[in-house]
Amino acid sequence: MKFFKIIILTIFFQSQAYALIEVDITRGNLNPLPIAVSPLFSNNDSNVKFEKIVKVNNVGHEISKIVENNLRQTGLFNPLEKDAFLQESEIAHLKPRFEDWNLIKAQALITGKVEIKDEKLRVEFRLWDVLAAKEMLALAFTTVPTNWRRVGHIITDKIYERLTGEKGYFDTRIIYVAEEGPKTQRIKKLAIMDQDGFNVKYLTLGNELVLTPRFNPTNQMITYLSYFRNLPRVYLLDIETGVQEVVGDFPGMTFAPRFSPDGKKIIMSFATGGNSDIYTMDLENRIVERITNHPSIDTSPSYSPDGKFICFNSDRSGYQQIYVMKNDGSNVKRISFGKGLYGTPVWSPRGDLIAFTKLHKGKFYIGVMRTDGSGERLLTENFYQEAPSWSPNGRVLIFYRETETNEKGEGFSAKLWSIDLTGYNERQVPTKTDASDPSWSSLLSN
Amino acid sequence: MILNKILKNTLLIVATCLILSACASTKKVSDIGGQIKDDVYVGEDTVEYLASGVPDRVFFATNESVLTTRSRDTLRKQATWLRENPNISIVIEGHADERGTREYNLALGERRANAAKDYLMTYGVSADRISVISYGKERPVDSGSNPLAWSKNRRSVSVKAN
Amino acid sequence: MYKSIFISTGFHFIIIIVATISLPFLAKTPIDLPPLVSIELIQITDKTSIPFAPKAKKIIEKIKKKEKERVVSEQAPPKKIKKEKPEAVPLPDKKIEEIKKIKEKKQNPEKIDTEVKQVSEFEKKEIFDPNSIAALIDKSKENIAETTKKTNKVTQSQDKNVELNGLSLSEEDALKAQIFGCWSIPLGLPFNENLLVRIKLKLKPDGYVIKSEILDHERMNRPGQGFYKVLAESALRAIRLCQPLRVPTTGYERWKDLQLNFDAGEMLGG
Repeated sequence: MKFFKIIILTIFFQSQAYALIEVDITRGNLNPLPIAVSPLFSNNDSNVKFEKIVKVNNVGHEISKIVENNLRQTGLFNPLEKDAFLQESEIAHLKPRFEDWNLIKAQALITGKVEIKDEKLRVEFRLWDVLAAKEMLALAFTTVPTNWRRVGHIITDKIYERLTGEKGYFDTRIIYVAEEGPKTQRIKKLAIMDQDGFNVKYLTLGNELVLTPRFNPTNQMITYLSYFRNLPRVYLLDIETGVQEVVGDFPGMTFAPRFSPDGKKIIMSFATGGNSDIYTMDLENRIVERITNHPSIDTSPSYSPDGKFICFNSDRSGYQQIYVMKNDGSNVKRISFGKGLYGTPVWSPRGDLIAFTKLHKGKFYIGVMRTDGSGERLLTENFYQEAPSWSPNGRVLIFYRETETNEKGEGFSAKLWSIDLTGYNERQVPTKTDASDPSWSSLLSN
Repeated sequence: MILNKILKNTLLIVATCLILSACASTKKVSDIGGQIKDDVYVGEDTVEYLASGVPDRVFFATNESVLTTRSRDTLRKQATWLRENPNISIVIEGHADERGTREYNLALGERRANAAKDYLMTYGVSADRISVISYGKERPVDSGSNPLAWSKNRRSVSVKAN
Repeated sequence: MYKSIFISTGFHFIIIIVATISLPFLAKTPIDLPPLVSIELIQITDKTSIPFAPKAKKIIEKIKKKEKERVVSEQAPPKKIKKEKPEAVPLPDKKIEEIKKIKEKKQNPEKIDTEVKQVSEFEKKEIFDPNSIAALIDKSKENIAETTKKTNKVTQSQDKNVELNGLSLSEEDALKAQIFGCWSIPLGLPFNENLLVRIKLKLKPDGYVIKSEILDHERMNRPGQGFYKVLAESALRAIRLCQPLRVPTTGYERWKDLQLNFDAGEMLGG
């Protein structure tokens, strides 16, 4: 249809007085966009005040470093070296000399200033199209100074949105399991951090085994599996109040929990007598509903963003495969038919894809497929990796990867990694300790 | 020319021999020192005893929860021992190796522990003396990343609860 | 265990020796057959269309490789350019005023209670929105355009009956190759959308752009088409980066109006 339209248009243009020459440009380079992040200007007075409050000097510099690092991590942008900048931040934040920025091959430029006034941090920034010598975006924020890192992330979100046409994913957090100790006696704690690995906080002490934490849609609650008193059960934790409670009153192990997209239900597996099935519990009226009823293992359930469907993992065919059903458990359909075993399906926040872990010929893959199982694409292969979690804009997956242990029991590590949907941009997400089971929050601001 | 012919023939026959023997050799490779039989660990390493002559654990094949003849033998010994000591109750811990996704392994561990529990019950041990817990891949007994270590980790272990 | 291996090896060895000596059929000289050569028939028309763009997959794979290298080896810093003395740039008065105005507009001090929850703590204000479509249509050089228009009118009538339409293949290739190098395709684009941006240019004889116009700019405002604007901007950037365009030295009338169809679909779709 589109093709047809183009043909018609072409004919139309050709019939003008004299033919308009058309040249088709079907190639370009896929290099990241060169962008200059000029340090945000902050005056001495503000710097002194800021240092008093957060013990970090030169706030403007620090915020621009956060922006720069975020942009680099996307793989879509190439922040240029500051040494090459010709214009100082004091002047640049007024009106850039575009020729200078053009000279160092910057195509976009970020300038701005920060000041502290009445205990408030005020940031102003502008995004410039260097080649067109035009402003593309200009915004100002006000917040408490302790939030300065988030300011950097929010700026990145806005720039990312302006330059890619999609929402960003920088003002977000990641909840994960921090790991320590030998493999046979691993100590695991719940931990939460900013998307870039800063501001780590531990939510449990490590006295009991904890696994698979997941955020609710408002990022204030976490559901996870805890072995408290050696009874593996799904728990609910309010991050702000620290209040914990067991979800439901099941006479056996509950595990693999996730929130429904409206945050009102928890969906999870309940195992008893050697059989795991999927259940939901309504958090308001505590009503428990059984969703699947099959003698096979049914686990790792995940809702579609509209809440109408559930994808899950089952071995009812004999081996682990991915299935989709309606939210009441009807219309169960197998969607994975490739070679190997499939697990941990997670529905993308955009609704168009399902991410999964695949085990084939002794290798683990993270991949995506459409919700009908077509278009399977494997993004990364490794010795062991699993449990992908989507960034809120549905472009990046975070997962964990474990390394091989040698005969002497050495060499084991578990780390968080991210990869984008193109499969190009694979990066380790920095964590102080070993880490596993990451879950990405939604955007904190908005 | 003749030398060349002999050389060619030699290569061809060696290749044929290798192809024919391929089937047999794969089994040998996985059968490390005779400690694994049909993907199930049959060695004595890591095995502890609940009482003299009563091993505490049984092993499974990859992704399986079927009890082998040897496992059933072990569990019958456990059942006898439990009937002789009616005051003892046990916890059966189900485990999986590290070559699976965490959530599926939790379910698999539960299935393995229950396979052992069901067998003990058919030999007259009452259900309220046996509880079950799954650790999935969280508590390996051998931390290695090799088929032998994995086979030792695919297990269900009976532990005295009191 | 070992015994059986020795016995087996021994017997195998004997078989090998016996077979080697006594199997004559393997030594037959092969029949000499000339190797098959496949011939592809190529229709030659007056307009040879050489497949220009190699398969996108290949390109992407190449880039992937490059990217990997880039990630592994620390990125080389761009060439250091000697810093000029940072003499404060005397800003034109008008521009300072402009900025001042903006400042005044947004200078209403906001009150924020300190107890706001973390989530709603940020107050965000748009200073002004320059994202109008008009901004994309380059009007800065409109006055030059008018002058050239006048001259155009004179020459137009003379050239009207020139039969040669379009650029020759080599002329087109030169222009294409140039723009391929300038166009950074935004990497965040969706895969399954129409990724065609058509831009109409008015050119000066030296290849500089007088005016550029995006033909489907109403598409930018449609919901879910936010990426289109990004794509259009990248195409405009490519044109600016490439100036002056590598246009033929003759026949200005032919190509003074030029349409470039930027299509990222082939690169990204694979």
